[in-house]
Amino acid sequence: MSEMAAAKGVGRSAALVRKKSRTQREINTIIAIFAREVTVFMKSPGTIIMSLAMPIVMMGMIGGNLMENMAGGLGFSFGSFMLVGMLVNMLFMTTTMGMSSLVDDHETDFNQEMLVSPVSRYSLVIGKILGASFVAIVSMAGTLIVGLFMGITLPARQLLLILALSPLMCLSGGAMSMIIIGLIKSKKAANMAVSLITMPQMFLSGAIIPINNSIPRPAKISPVFACLFAARVGSSGQRATRPASLPRLSERQKSIANTEKILAGRGIAGY
Amino acid sequence: MNAAIEVKNLVKKYNRAISPSVDDISFSVGEGEFFAFLGPNGAGKTTTISILTTTLAKTGGGVRIAGFDIDKQARQVREKVGIIFQKPSLDTQLTAEQNIRFHACLYGMCGYRPTFRMMPAAYRSRVLDLAEIVGIKDALFKPVKKLSGGMQRKLEIIRSLIHTPDVLFLDEPTQGLDAVSRRGLWEYIDDVRRGSGTTIFLTTHYIDEAENVDKVCVINHGRIAACCSPEVMKQSLLRQELIIDADDRSALLAELDSLGMAYAANGRVTVLFKGSAQDVIPRIQTRLSTLRIHEPSLEDAYVEFLNKTGGVEQ
Repeated sequence: MSEMAAAKGVGRSAALVRKKSRTQREINTIIAIFAREVTVFMKSPGTIIMSLAMPIVMMGMIGGNLMENMAGGLGFSFGSFMLVGMLVNMLFMTTTMGMSSLVDDHETDFNQEMLVSPVSRYSLVIGKILGASFVAIVSMAGTLIVGLFMGITLPARQLLLILALSPLMCLSGGAMSMIIIGLIKSKKAANMAVSLITMPQMFLSGAIIPINNSIPRPAKISPVFACLFAARVGSSGQRATRPASLPRLSERQKSIANTEKILAGRGIAGY
Repeated sequence: MNAAIEVKNLVKKYNRAISPSVDDISFSVGEGEFFAFLGPNGAGKTTTISILTTTLAKTGGGVRIAGFDIDKQARQVREKVGIIFQKPSLDTQLTAEQNIRFHACLYGMCGYRPTFRMMPAAYRSRVLDLAEIVGIKDALFKPVKKLSGGMQRKLEIIRSLIHTPDVLFLDEPTQGLDAVSRRGLWEYIDDVRRGSGTTIFLTTHYIDEAENVDKVCVINHGRIAACCSPEVMKQSLLRQELIIDADDRSALLAELDSLGMAYAANGRVTVLFKGSAQDVIPRIQTRLSTLRIHEPSLEDAYVEFLNKTGGVEQ
């Protein structure tokens, strides 16, 4: 067997040579981790069904009931208001839930494989967040389709704005969940913590129910509020969660980016 | 011989622990050496291996791996080492090949492509070659969760070697494997060592696996109890035993008494001696019905060493 091994080049890399550029390697790592998340998602029918069922439950059932009871006398399109809130919330919540798979990696020890590799922790986390964002984008598409079936549409400008901001929204959801992952090591506890953090943000920041001038102070510093603040444009009904003079797109992106910076910094340190 | 691993006065004390888990240990492992790090549960083996592989911060002392300092050059150290952890660290949802591909990308050996066919030819041929040698070629595209424990361990070995590490850390690699899988695994690791000159750092509870190592280091209560070759260890601690018996046992025992030989007579008569059995056997005139020379194993020496260095915490 020894001869055979030698003939086959055991321990020698043949033409397989390590890339020299560090940037190239970090980018490659991000792509590999993203691809792993997508592959795992595609191989998990349960997750696919959940990510498609979520928009039906959130938008179709909860949203449908809210529209029936609240739409009258508001003076603006409650459907459009709710759809924007649902889209932002869906991106944030699905990314956060996706990131909790890091706890799975802790439990199955796959984390060790990543932590001993010669790459930056930031690359590992960014790859993971992008992977979770993929699932979030699928859910977002599902929400838009359900909205269409319910007869709710958005102006093209607003839809494009949400799409342009969606990577930042996913990143802020992912960055937020990094704090949880840094503190929690059990999957059960992580799932509970994700719900505990995302649900209050959804309601307190006025994602689906208009709140006039009574947004609690903690909600104003929440990432969901920052994302909603950036995404809502135009209609009077959406004034509820935005100031009278809405900042430019670049300023809004900056606002989310600052939130991410704080969250990701703390989270990665914990990781 | 240059040192592949150099550990000087290494100390690790966990927060709120009364005493250090690793208490001022020093040793070195030469390039291409097969090194065994033995010790009972809780002796400090995994703590040491975690520090050497840069996953745990040390409290004091210095460590260099393949010439790089683990504090200042952690990234370079990680590039130079391969690790097989105590528990499998595979993604069970991916196929065996996808696990290898992921690892190769993390170590910068090739760019990521969505399918095996799209990967560079050098990667494909190396994976296929290694899989054939280890005997998992047929299972390469199966999900890891469908592979047996032995197959998963072999897969981890391929994965850890794909980036051609200078030092391979094996943290109890055969834990939970059956005898056939264990033997196959060791044959392969031996081939790797001979073929590529990879330095191997092994921790194991199966002491017989360390019989053929170049150097063995025993750690107990966080301190090095012994660090030498297995032969030296056996010779320094254990006397050899001659197991004898005779039809006329009382005559045999009387003769041993008259010769002043130390013996123990339980179910059998055991004569302890040092040096060559050839010097002892001709002195016994009583006709023997049983004659056997017992060579001490490394495990015997290991247990004796532990007993001499404070025993084992139960």
